[in-house]
Amino acid sequence: MAGQSDPNVSIFSGEEVEFMAEDEMVEIVPNMRMEPLNMLCGDFGPFYPQMATQVPMWLAIALKKRGKCTIRPPEWMSVENLTQILEAERESQAAFQVLPFHYVEISSLLFDYASGDIPDLYMVRSLINDIRDARFLKVESSLESFEDARSSAVKVKNLSAMEVNVVRPFVGRALQAFYKHGSPDLVPNPEAMSARRPQATDNIQRRPLRRR
Amino acid sequence: MMYGTKAIQLVKEIANGEKGQLTPFSSDVFSEVIAECSQHFADLRSLIRKMQEAGLDVETTKNEDHYGQLIHHLSLVRNKRCLMAYMYNRAEILRNLVWKVGSEIPEEIQEKLSHSEKEYFKKHSEALKSYMSRVVLELAVDMVPPKDPYIKVRVLDDMGEVELPSDNTANFARHSMHFLKRTDAEKYISLGKMEELTG
Amino acid sequence: MDPLLQETVLEKAGSIVRKVGSFLKMESYYDIDDILVEGQRVPVVFQQAVNGVDIDPSAETHCVEPGSKVELPYWLAHELHLRKVAKMKVPACFNQRTKLELGADGASVDLRSRCLYFYEFGCKIAPLVSDRDMGSFLLSAFRTRYQKILAKAHNAAFTAHSKLLSYLTKEETNLYEAAQSSMAAFKKWRIGGPRFERASVLGRKRKEAN
Repeated sequence: MAGQSDPNVSIFSGEEVEFMAEDEMVEIVPNMRMEPLNMLCGDFGPFYPQMATQVPMWLAIALKKRGKCTIRPPEWMSVENLTQILEAERESQAAFQVLPFHYVEISSLLFDYASGDIPDLYMVRSLINDIRDARFLKVESSLESFEDARSSAVKVKNLSAMEVNVVRPFVGRALQAFYKHGSPDLVPNPEAMSARRPQATDNIQRRPLRRR
Repeated sequence: MMYGTKAIQLVKEIANGEKGQLTPFSSDVFSEVIAECSQHFADLRSLIRKMQEAGLDVETTKNEDHYGQLIHHLSLVRNKRCLMAYMYNRAEILRNLVWKVGSEIPEEIQEKLSHSEKEYFKKHSEALKSYMSRVVLELAVDMVPPKDPYIKVRVLDDMGEVELPSDNTANFARHSMHFLKRTDAEKYISLGKMEELTG
Repeated sequence: MDPLLQETVLEKAGSIVRKVGSFLKMESYYDIDDILVEGQRVPVVFQQAVNGVDIDPSAETHCVEPGSKVELPYWLAHELHLRKVAKMKVPACFNQRTKLELGADGASVDLRSRCLYFYEFGCKIAPLVSDRDMGSFLLSAFRTRYQKILAKAHNAAFTAHSKLLSYLTKEETNLYEAAQSSMAAFKKWRIGGPRFERASVLGRKRKEAN
């Protein structure tokens, strides 16, 4: 399904990344009684009123829409935890905090369909937005590093699905260009290149982080 | 005028056009380029004939006539590449369109196509259809990951009584609103005959 | 393994690699940008006489004399260059002045007006002309300008009528636009709304008649 919705934009659309995130498990508290559901992707239930159980996100949302359950937001979505993460993100210029791979999509789905089930909704929402922005600034500055000589790669740890998806078209193209222009056929002597480098490197270090 | 200049016009038409959009088929320029190709071919042949008449070995002699042939040959190959790329890039748009609107060419597109492009669209959609019936899967639905099985739509074009893929019929009067199976509505939305209502 | 058999296998493998290689090259056969790159003009000096062609605008006959200076599109120039019929020279957009300007303040040089396909054209030219450091010059130019594009690319507030955009080459513009459209797609996803839309190839929505 990759790229079906619009082959020109990126490899996956936001909707497609969200679709993948809907397979993540989440805890719900049903308010009805229902037999177990036996599906290709697994068995869920049985469901009893007030008895918490784990189901995939898509099922949780389908039940929630029909008023059959409440969704328990995952632990990492607490104000306390998010505040801590935001601080840590801002403290470290390079490292990314460990967050669920689909934190952007999961939080967005919960805001859209189960806002009533999230304690401190406004606080949580703004914390997640701030975390996302802080991380994206860091993604951008980490992309500066692959102007480094011939490394046609860049290593960034703990990026989430949506973050990777947003920068993928740019990074893919940029890497391709660096790879092409740095090919040994064209630049036979890398040492000669490094002699010119110091000046460029200085510029980068002096450049302050941009504000958006 | 430098060789290959006309053919570049075709390529620029694709390059300058909005991405994924079709412009009317430039049949005039297209046939002018083909005429140019024939001229190159004729010139090439007459240079060969000239060498043969002088009793020279066409394969091995490297004289001014040989280099003349070379330039006409290269120009032919270049023109061919431009023509091919023009067709290829338009065909790609058509192939994508088949997935969105099925077997009927929308009016807005119809008038922009050459005869062979219309033929191509028809055959490609037939091939796709027969493949889908062989694997017993409707592959062209759910191009966007599905959410709800039903969606709310508003009809933009009067369509009257319509038989839906799910074997139901509905009366699609202009501006009427319906609650439809997502898979039934998808094609009409792609064609711009309906719009999805949210919220 | 029988050495003869081994040799056959190796030969077979070699030919497969070559086939795959030429297939990969074929990929760009229909590439619109690549065709336009190869349409860029290169100055050449003819080494051989050529008969029966009209490519020298200063010539009164259908001939080109040795020593004639002509500007030819790359697709023609490089084939003639390889066969030593004509000798390619470095095109004006890669001249010393451009190099100096790029070296001084690479990010603010208007490359677009010099050559829309500056890098791609340069990559094709570099192995053919006698300018040893052209490749590294291209790389360092791209590297400096990449920084500037990166700084603006994912920023939605940065609008299209900016001066920067009018300076960028095609490849740089593609890079910038890749980032912009993916950021826009992300924002659109976040806002939500209709998931199904009119096929974009059908153009913009017709105005409703009432």
